[in-house]
Amino acid sequence: MSGEVTERSATSTARSPVLSSFGVVSKVWLGLLGVLLVAGLGAWAYQLQQGLVVTGMRNVFSWGLYIMLFVMFVGLSAGGLIISSAPKFFHSDRYEGFARLGVLVSLACIIVAGLLILPDIGRPERLYQFFTSPDFRSPMVWDFGIVVLYGVLNVWYLWLLTRRDLAARGSRLAFGAEDTQAGRDRDRKLLFWTAAVALPTAVMLHSVTGWIFATQVGRGDWFSPLVAPVFIAKALVSGLGLLLVVSILADRYTGFDADRDELTSLGKMLGIFLAFHVVYLLAAERLPHAWADHFGFWAITSEFLIGDSVYFWLWTGVGGALPLVLLATPQLRKRLSVIFVAGVLAVFGTLFEGVRLVFTGYESVNIDAAPGISLGGEYAGVTTDIWATTGAYTPTVIELMVTAGIVAFGALIVTVGLRFVPLQRRTEQERYAPDGGGGGCD
Amino acid sequence: MTNYGLVIDQERCIGCQTCAVTCKQENNVPMGQFWNRVLTVGGDHIDTPEGSYPEDGESGDLDMQYQPTACQHCENAPCVKVCPVNATYKRDDGIVEIDYDKCIGCRYCMAACPYNARVFNWDEPQHLPEEGTGDVEERPQGVVEKCTFCSHRVEEGLDPACAVNCPADARIFGDLDDETSTVSKYVNEYNTEQLLDEKGTDPNTYYVQGEMTPGRTWTSDKLESELDEQPTAEEAGDPDSEKSMQGATADPVWGDD
Repeated sequence: MSGEVTERSATSTARSPVLSSFGVVSKVWLGLLGVLLVAGLGAWAYQLQQGLVVTGMRNVFSWGLYIMLFVMFVGLSAGGLIISSAPKFFHSDRYEGFARLGVLVSLACIIVAGLLILPDIGRPERLYQFFTSPDFRSPMVWDFGIVVLYGVLNVWYLWLLTRRDLAARGSRLAFGAEDTQAGRDRDRKLLFWTAAVALPTAVMLHSVTGWIFATQVGRGDWFSPLVAPVFIAKALVSGLGLLLVVSILADRYTGFDADRDELTSLGKMLGIFLAFHVVYLLAAERLPHAWADHFGFWAITSEFLIGDSVYFWLWTGVGGALPLVLLATPQLRKRLSVIFVAGVLAVFGTLFEGVRLVFTGYESVNIDAAPGISLGGEYAGVTTDIWATTGAYTPTVIELMVTAGIVAFGALIVTVGLRFVPLQRRTEQERYAPDGGGGGCD
Repeated sequence: MTNYGLVIDQERCIGCQTCAVTCKQENNVPMGQFWNRVLTVGGDHIDTPEGSYPEDGESGDLDMQYQPTACQHCENAPCVKVCPVNATYKRDDGIVEIDYDKCIGCRYCMAACPYNARVFNWDEPQHLPEEGTGDVEERPQGVVEKCTFCSHRVEEGLDPACAVNCPADARIFGDLDDETSTVSKYVNEYNTEQLLDEKGTDPNTYYVQGEMTPGRTWTSDKLESELDEQPTAEEAGDPDSEKSMQGATADPVWGDD
């Protein structure tokens, strides 16, 4: 801990929420999220009543948008926790300004991820079976455990980070914690140990989520030992990308003050993560297949370099190469707008990485002899073609509505957090209030 | 121990779809779903061969085979290992079964099954006739279902419906752990394959290719172990015996076309 922090008296370091009140813009935003949430709940109720037949999923392609986005939001939940806990673990004050916002975003993302599983379940009223009759061989049980643990850890972490400031503000959310120097010193120790637990937990979360797919022999390229490391890399890319996007938005629209130098530095880090993920790991995954499947030099090379689907290009081109170029160009990478766009693109890319992963498993089947596999659902008489030899999937409006509702709930958590969780130092904020647009959310 | 398995003689199979239809009736399988499918290994469509028609005095190379495909009741069943709530499990007698009251409908098992043997009730299952057929447990909307080797029949000492009703006697059901059973003999004495054996799932379903077996040699609907006497089983397993030669002209040319 640097001297600067410890020198301050307990109360002067107390931080406050970056949104001092909900203004007109905030209320419109909250209203929009509320509408999405209600619409999503309605769509889910309709789906519960009609069955999953109202989704685009069928017997061949039996996981869809909910799982694709589950994978994505698990990844997104990485950024904040890692950016806040890695420096704490190494007793550094770097990126300190992003720590609380980061954990708040992580918490919202892991809640969204967990909730996305609910509409995918055919009989959600039986979910208690996870407790009464678990099979510990199932990667889904591992993942259930780690997602819950990670969520609880995020709640604990955010509270630990903010409880002294909550106490200083007389908030009941302090739950009896008092704002004393001794208490703050003790929390710093606790934060170190929490960081020490959080880092391996994050690694496990992304690995186990990868292993849901990587353990399956029946679904093409899912069965690959590289999936877990790729999920870690994806989490670093998308999580950091989202943290940058949210930080810049919060800097623009709330009293949150994002340090420009640190934003630039985090942008560079995003570039390194992107290079490792989209260039190196992808190449490592593709080369052995391309080499083994083809004979001629150019056949091997083109199979290695040229992707197979539009999702591949959306991920590697729009979501990989483009932000990488933006962040690698010295004239560009210091601009806030460029960092923002690169973050958006990185998140966009990993969305399609998840989409591509699910398509990889389901679009072709191992035994594709005619007539194929019965699709199930929508039987409409003897002329109905119920057979398929390949998987096809397009999400329905119902799936999009349910998903939008859940994501809106996550955005609601972040927005309410900006208003009620003490995220930033008041002293600095006051100094920079005019620049940061303090209190000027609307 | 008993370890039930199925031998499907692809040289005997005539592709008549009787096993697929009788399975649907016996198990009250909903409209739009099949537990047991008869696949055509050959052309792009059902009942079509691959290869070329003989022309200009040349001999063609048309080729087609039928592959009835249902749950393979694997020893190392991926679907069982992934089920988070123990709703699908491997019974002591080798049958992979689903507890429809436990299934949460997460469909991880469908992702795990390399054979696409499992189907999900996407909506309220429809039946024709409406009251349904067969004497089996009801499966509601939102759960996964699949072939059970007709466990409700096996428990009564009866062979699965698909085995009894196969007009070509191409489906033989029995105990793989009993070395004297017909299935064990066929697995030992004929060229059998397990589907996708490279996946390491070790199915309890074996496919006979190349030389035709004498097939299911008893006409009773009972399990082989429930028969009063097992007169044919001994000879049945021996491909060189008189009996088996009667059952099948062991002529590979005839068998392949």
